[in-house]
Amino acid sequence: MIEDDEGHARLIEKNIRRAGIMNDLRHFLDGSSALEYLFEGDENGRLRGPALVLLDLNLPDMSGTEILAKIKAEPDLKRTPVVVLTTTDDKTEIQRCYDLGCNVYITKPVDYEAFSRAILQLGLFLSVIQVPDNGSHV
Amino acid sequence: MNTRSLLNRLAVAAVAVGFVALLAAAIAAIYVAKRNAEYTYWVRHTYEVELRISELRILAEQVETARRGYMLKHDHAFYERAVSTNAALFPKLEQIAALTDDNPAEQARVEQLRTLISRQTELTNRSLETTRAGGVVVSIRMFRTDGSIETLTEIRRIARDMAEAERRLLEERNTLQSRTVQALVGVLVAAGVILIVTAAFSVVVIVRYTRDLSRSRDQLRRLNENLEDIVRERTADLARANDEIQRFAYIVSHDLRSPLVNIMGFTSELEAALPPLRDMIAAGEAASPPVATPAAHAAVEVDLPEAIAFIRKSTQKMDRLINAILRLSREGRRILTPERLAMGAIVAGVADTLKHRADEIGAEITVEGELPSIVSDRLAMEQVFSNLIENALKYLKPGRPGRIVVRGHAEPGRLVYEIEDNGRGVDPKDHQRIFELFRRSGPQDQPGEGIGLAHVRALIYRLGGVIACDSALDRGAIFRLFLPPTLAGDQGSSL
Repeated sequence: MIEDDEGHARLIEKNIRRAGIMNDLRHFLDGSSALEYLFEGDENGRLRGPALVLLDLNLPDMSGTEILAKIKAEPDLKRTPVVVLTTTDDKTEIQRCYDLGCNVYITKPVDYEAFSRAILQLGLFLSVIQVPDNGSHV
Repeated sequence: MNTRSLLNRLAVAAVAVGFVALLAAAIAAIYVAKRNAEYTYWVRHTYEVELRISELRILAEQVETARRGYMLKHDHAFYERAVSTNAALFPKLEQIAALTDDNPAEQARVEQLRTLISRQTELTNRSLETTRAGGVVVSIRMFRTDGSIETLTEIRRIARDMAEAERRLLEERNTLQSRTVQALVGVLVAAGVILIVTAAFSVVVIVRYTRDLSRSRDQLRRLNENLEDIVRERTADLARANDEIQRFAYIVSHDLRSPLVNIMGFTSELEAALPPLRDMIAAGEAASPPVATPAAHAAVEVDLPEAIAFIRKSTQKMDRLINAILRLSREGRRILTPERLAMGAIVAGVADTLKHRADEIGAEITVEGELPSIVSDRLAMEQVFSNLIENALKYLKPGRPGRIVVRGHAEPGRLVYEIEDNGRGVDPKDHQRIFELFRRSGPQDQPGEGIGLAHVRALIYRLGGVIACDSALDRGAIFRLFLPPTLAGDQGSSL
């Protein structure tokens, strides 16, 4: 999860847990540390592809779309589903994310019920989709 | 500027002086020509007088010659000649008298001549008759003594004097004439000089003037070009500023939303945490002795839910406001697509969608007459009319059947649409305020954030028009839209 707002991160995590997903979850507050983690190979030189990336678009050091482009340009990572979670419901922005290869785009509603519903659905969605096996933990 | 006007006045004066000089020259020329004609007449006159005088002298000589010839030769032909020439003497003299009747000196001489000639004629006749009668000797003696020789000499002298006088007159006239010619030459030269000076001056002024003119024209053109540049620059500045505001509104609303998500989220978490607490307090109260204090009870049952409710209400309101700003900023960035719109159909469509609400409150929406069609953005116009009619429905006077009338007409260069209602009206002091974001007028008894009219005004401005409100409390309201008949180009800006 790449999310600069700790409150959002906490709420997302809470709701994901409530949705019954108990996978390991790593939280990065900025783009560079997240990229560093993603592109740092393991002992075999292979990249640690997470099962799923939750990405916020408004990051302090770089734009989320940049991270999205980098993930999708890397052969080892490009199959990893990316869920964009952001406050932007601008149509062109959404279009751009899908063009870059984002798998799901979710707008954070201010209405908390809607928000938790969205996360819950995401959790349900995550539990049913087939995540490509990168041979690594999730 | 002052010296220039002085110069202009001088140029006009110079031209005037030039014309005056020309006129003077023309008048002088005419005067001199007339004088010349007179002079010529007088010269001819003088010559004629001279001619006549010499003819008279010749006649007198001839008479004398014939008389002497007759006395000597006694030939009758001489007699005849003497008589006939003698007879011609007087008419000749009368001719001269007529010619010189303007000259008293000559008249006096003519008078003398007349006396002399009549005496001579008398003497001649007597000697002729004496000779004829055979007294040649007598007549010759008479001839010597009768003074006819002196008379003739006198006649000759006077005739000479007359001729002399005439010649002097001619000379005088000549001098006068040459003086006139000189004067003419002088006038002409002066006029010519004045003309040349005037022309030179005028040319200088005109050249200077033309140069000034072309310089100011160049300056004007430069200024004009500058002005266009300035306008372009300002327009670009304005567009940039507008873009900046749009972007600002967009970013602010987005960034404001982010903490709001947290506030809402954690408020909900707090609320979710309440039931277990409430259970605990209830259990504590039920236990004996009660473990829970009344303060704890109040906190859980009253204070916390109240706080949470207020937080929630405020955040919801904040969310609505932010959304409104976001919508306005989006509206500002939307690309307008002008097309010909049948406003009658558009207003009818809007009225249809609001019909249900209008029926509920017993209001009636009518379109009066034909609405002029416009070339503009369809969505924007629909939103404007929908907002205004909805507003009119919202603020009707309770207890008075609502009547909403839409009408429109064309004015030179613009179209005017009016939405009139008979509702509760707007206080004149609020006519500007109602168009501001989040501002409302009158009793706050209707739901809303004070966005509708701000939105309408923003749209109207983008469509190149203006909106005005004409209303008084309890007297209904008329919202007037002034719009260009054709929306010029696209004014949308991309973010």
